[in-house]
Amino acid sequence: MLRNSFTKWLWDNRRSMVTWALSIAGVGAMYAAFWPTMDNPAMREMLENYPDELLEALNYTDIANPAGYLNATVYGLVVALLTVVFSLSAGAKAIAGDEEAGTLELILAHPITRVRLALERFAAFLLVAAVISVTLFVFLLVLSGPAHLEGISTGSFLAMHLHLFLFAALFGSVGFGVGAATGRRGLAIGVGAGIAVFGFAANGLLNQIDGLEWIEGFSPFQWLNGNSPLQNGIHAGDALIMAGLAVLLVTVGLLLFRRRDVAV
Amino acid sequence: MPEIAIATVGLIKDYGRTRGLDGLDLEVRTGEVYGFLGPNGAGKTTTIRLLLDLIRPTSGSVRVLGLEPREDGIQIRRRVGYLAGDFLVDGRQTARELLTYLANLRGGAGADRIDELAQRLDLDLTRKMRTLSRGNRQKVGVIQAFMHDPELMVLDEPTSGLDPFLQHEFSTMIRDAASEGRTVFMSSHVMSEVQRSADRVGIIREGRLSTVEGVDDLRQRARRHIEIVFDSPVEPDGFSSIPGVSDLTIDGTVLRCRLDGRADRLVKAAARHGIVTISAEEPDLEELFFDYYERQGAGGDAS
Repeated sequence: MLRNSFTKWLWDNRRSMVTWALSIAGVGAMYAAFWPTMDNPAMREMLENYPDELLEALNYTDIANPAGYLNATVYGLVVALLTVVFSLSAGAKAIAGDEEAGTLELILAHPITRVRLALERFAAFLLVAAVISVTLFVFLLVLSGPAHLEGISTGSFLAMHLHLFLFAALFGSVGFGVGAATGRRGLAIGVGAGIAVFGFAANGLLNQIDGLEWIEGFSPFQWLNGNSPLQNGIHAGDALIMAGLAVLLVTVGLLLFRRRDVAV
Repeated sequence: MPEIAIATVGLIKDYGRTRGLDGLDLEVRTGEVYGFLGPNGAGKTTTIRLLLDLIRPTSGSVRVLGLEPREDGIQIRRRVGYLAGDFLVDGRQTARELLTYLANLRGGAGADRIDELAQRLDLDLTRKMRTLSRGNRQKVGVIQAFMHDPELMVLDEPTSGLDPFLQHEFSTMIRDAASEGRTVFMSSHVMSEVQRSADRVGIIREGRLSTVEGVDDLRQRARRHIEIVFDSPVEPDGFSSIPGVSDLTIDGTVLRCRLDGRADRLVKAAARHGIVTISAEEPDLEELFFDYYERQGAGGDAS
């Protein structure tokens, strides 16, 4: 565990990582387990009486089947928001958080390049993000019988969870990239939170304004499940844009991290 | 191995609009113990961070062990042991975990010496870092700076927080390292911290090196408090005019004064009387150090 900076970072953050994985997967599974109580005529009738704009804002437009329900509640809301919080803070901690705590300096005074150290830590974050996505995937597979999640194949769940992983990687790379470039954890989290708020609004509110429908195309929440990988499989465009932006943010962050003064 | 372990020429470092270093010319010879003295904020830590490539110079040149930090930072850091002014680490790990990891960053170099050094400094390696006192944390810092037998040690205020026993042990470690031919560059804001172990001291003020002296020379030139007890009362005449003598008081048979520089004339003057005892305090270099500060400050060194 102490061999290199990748395993060391995992080891140092083991408690918070396990807590996050269980919380996100647990909350997601809990919402999924409510599906049978939603799946009845009375509930459907109640939702039909809601204004369309409200349903659109809540992503509840297609809630009459398990995939639509999971898109609205699990992937469109609780798991998405928790993933944003986890990924942003874990990404920002990797460099900026460590630097502000004053503990990065000692490591960088050792014979390791900044880029190598940063990449090892980002890789550790990616592994945890993958573990979280897989944990929720396993929970939902186990639940799919008891919770009557009919019509969603294992492959569809896999596709959705690949999107979820890329979504986590994207927000992780915002926290990581801005943090590595500036050394300021608060700024990194602030930028990421701004993107999340904009993305959430663009996906549910702004896109309802006439002439602004296109704006949802710029929302990470749209890329996550706007094209419903649960029903349609992997959406190559959405997956690529999340992966591409993550690579770009990490690369730019590393380039600036290499050039700047550390721990001033 | 180059003769010069650390060389900076015209080194300037700006932080935004404030100037951290203002043309520092520093030369540390291979194998010497160099005390880098200056008040807080004079640029000591800035200099040290430049040596390790943690920060980059605005202009001027730096060479460490003949290499350039910007180009060969990895090589330099492999051959250097560094102890920061405040040794900060994640508190949730044990001292052994931390030291093992740090050794692994060096490809395992020094891992086999952790136990020996911990024993020497009386440190319990199984304790979590956050449960250690400041002094014990500092011991961990000393171990990681020494364990891989670096050619050059860069120590930023190394004995702050150590008790007198450990300060002594630490001085011994420094002298041992020097006798093995290693170079030690240690900063401090108090002379007493370095006068025990340093061969030379450089005094930095407002980002520039103002003086470099051998510690032995300093000691010879330092002001001493002298007390001479005669067997019969003496008169001040014949003493007050001696160069270097100041604050002269004569109280019956007891003469007290301060002496700058050589004692020759004073002793010869005293020898004309019957002497019971002579005592001279070990020179307080701290005082000398303050003299430098004051002289420089009054001299208008803004240039």
